[in-house]
Amino acid sequence: MELEVDEKDLRSAGAELLTDGRRGLRIGGWEIESRNRSILTSLALQQWEQNLQTCHLPEMIFGESCLVLKHVGSGTKIHFNAFDALAGWKQEGLPPVEVPAAAKWKFRSKPFQQVILDYDYTFTTPYCGSEMVELDADKNRELGILTKRESGEISGGSSGLHWEDCEEQLDVAALALKEPILFYDEVVLYEDELADNGVSLVTVKVRVMPSSWFLLLRFWVFEQLRVDGVLMRLRDTRMHCVFDESANPVILRERCWREGTFQALSANGYPTDSASYSDPSIISQRLPVIMHQTQKLRVPGNL
Amino acid sequence: MSDLDRQIEQLKKCEPLKESEVKALCLKAMEILVEESNVQRVDAPVTICGDIHGQFYDMKELFKVGGDCPKTNYLFLGDFVDRGFYSVETFLLLLALKVRYPDRITLIRGNHESRQITQVYGFYDECLRKYGSVNVWRYCTDIFDYLSLSALIENKIFSVHGGLSPAISTLDQIRTIDRKQEVPHDGAMCDLLWSDPEDIVDGWGLSPRGAGFLFGGSVVTSFNHTNNIDYICRAHQLVMEGYKWMFNNQIVTVWSAPNYCYRCGNVAAILELDENLNKQFRVFDAAPQESRGAPAKKPAPDYFL
Repeated sequence: MELEVDEKDLRSAGAELLTDGRRGLRIGGWEIESRNRSILTSLALQQWEQNLQTCHLPEMIFGESCLVLKHVGSGTKIHFNAFDALAGWKQEGLPPVEVPAAAKWKFRSKPFQQVILDYDYTFTTPYCGSEMVELDADKNRELGILTKRESGEISGGSSGLHWEDCEEQLDVAALALKEPILFYDEVVLYEDELADNGVSLVTVKVRVMPSSWFLLLRFWVFEQLRVDGVLMRLRDTRMHCVFDESANPVILRERCWREGTFQALSANGYPTDSASYSDPSIISQRLPVIMHQTQKLRVPGNL
Repeated sequence: MSDLDRQIEQLKKCEPLKESEVKALCLKAMEILVEESNVQRVDAPVTICGDIHGQFYDMKELFKVGGDCPKTNYLFLGDFVDRGFYSVETFLLLLALKVRYPDRITLIRGNHESRQITQVYGFYDECLRKYGSVNVWRYCTDIFDYLSLSALIENKIFSVHGGLSPAISTLDQIRTIDRKQEVPHDGAMCDLLWSDPEDIVDGWGLSPRGAGFLFGGSVVTSFNHTNNIDYICRAHQLVMEGYKWMFNNQIVTVWSAPNYCYRCGNVAAILELDENLNKQFRVFDAAPQESRGAPAKKPAPDYFL
């Protein structure tokens, strides 16, 4: 997407767009870049199956697509990619939603060799982003540190980055201000059509304003079930970081998980006919919250 | 120039027909389709095409690569509608060609040729948007019930949208299905349109949700042997490279929607068979941006929270 950005807005915010065909910008000590690429080739898919130790992956994996927000001074990198999201799915390993009913329904009196595949086909993931500290190559050599392989790292565990629980909430008022948007993009990480029974979708959206960056990572499942009508599962991660070049930046992260069925919603008197499988925004506020957490990350000092 | 030829020219420009014209076209198509077998015989040479999904301008690329109908004899394996922006024009063009050249194009049914699925994945909404009523959707979905379930090329290549069914071991069993109905939720007709080949099962497998079966290599070997066919040609699953052989060349998946959903970046393929059944895959890309009617799907910046 070629975004029409007002040159004046960019200049007055001290921002500059990335060049050489890269999409993104530098602003307030951050370099923010998005990449939208094709789905994995069959060969790459096999490799991923091996690396993730699974035979089942979503139909569309945008394996080379990503969103990266790098704090240039410290090398701290917040990034979003399909591999880590799927590693999260594998690790969570939810039981399949519908095995018993479906199995009974299909295999009633069918006496041949049968296998029931037992995995979470909705690809539900607790993924809330990846982070690492990226030392530049020269420094690595000097210090004798091997650069960490990016993919495969789920949490900041060994990167020295630590998200701590906090009381602060997202500053919705500040985010509602109609500041100019200097950069905007949406990246799909993976998507599956649940064999034409709905959708499972992981996307991350970002917008960068003169005062801050804000992003929303969203996992969304809308699934037509045989028994309970429709299952909806929404797992949102929001991150907000106000530019402040005089201090170490703080990233606020809010995670909110919601889940419900059409049955339960209509029992509570909510109309469900406006729900759309591809767009959770209309129905999301009506889904009961099952997990809510706010955390912050203090980006370490400059190197 | 007959009305039908004029309609074909109009549809080739991606202009939909009037509601009354759709109704008349569907009636004519019904007369032709009702005569077809559940295992429709097809002669070689023929060019086999997989899922199209309403990507009209990409289907035009397909015809550029494969040649125009009726000069080229075509077999389409279903999933004409849903997802893309032009399901109406795509399906009506194929249907008009079928009525005009019944012996030069064969259309069989995919799992998206169904009332239930099209209400979820776009065709229903598109008809409502383009015609202001659901009549055209009704005419089209009524025609879906008449589409054949499979094809047999020169008695040697079995073609179907999805795959095999545990309830089916011979082609004669397919011939006895009463197909003129909405795609059922289970049973042989459902399986033919929904099933997938799967490496990791040997016999039959069931996906956790229970939508269609998964079948392994030994199932294909025994089906091909029993029915004396060389291989199975099917569609239904997105393949980044456009086509994919499995189980020692006993089954091939052909996918004909390039850059699926306008964002996957995959290529598409068609399979050309000459009169001696020699195979040639023709791989093609999505139509260039400037030749499409609609703008690319760009995310509009918004103040999301």
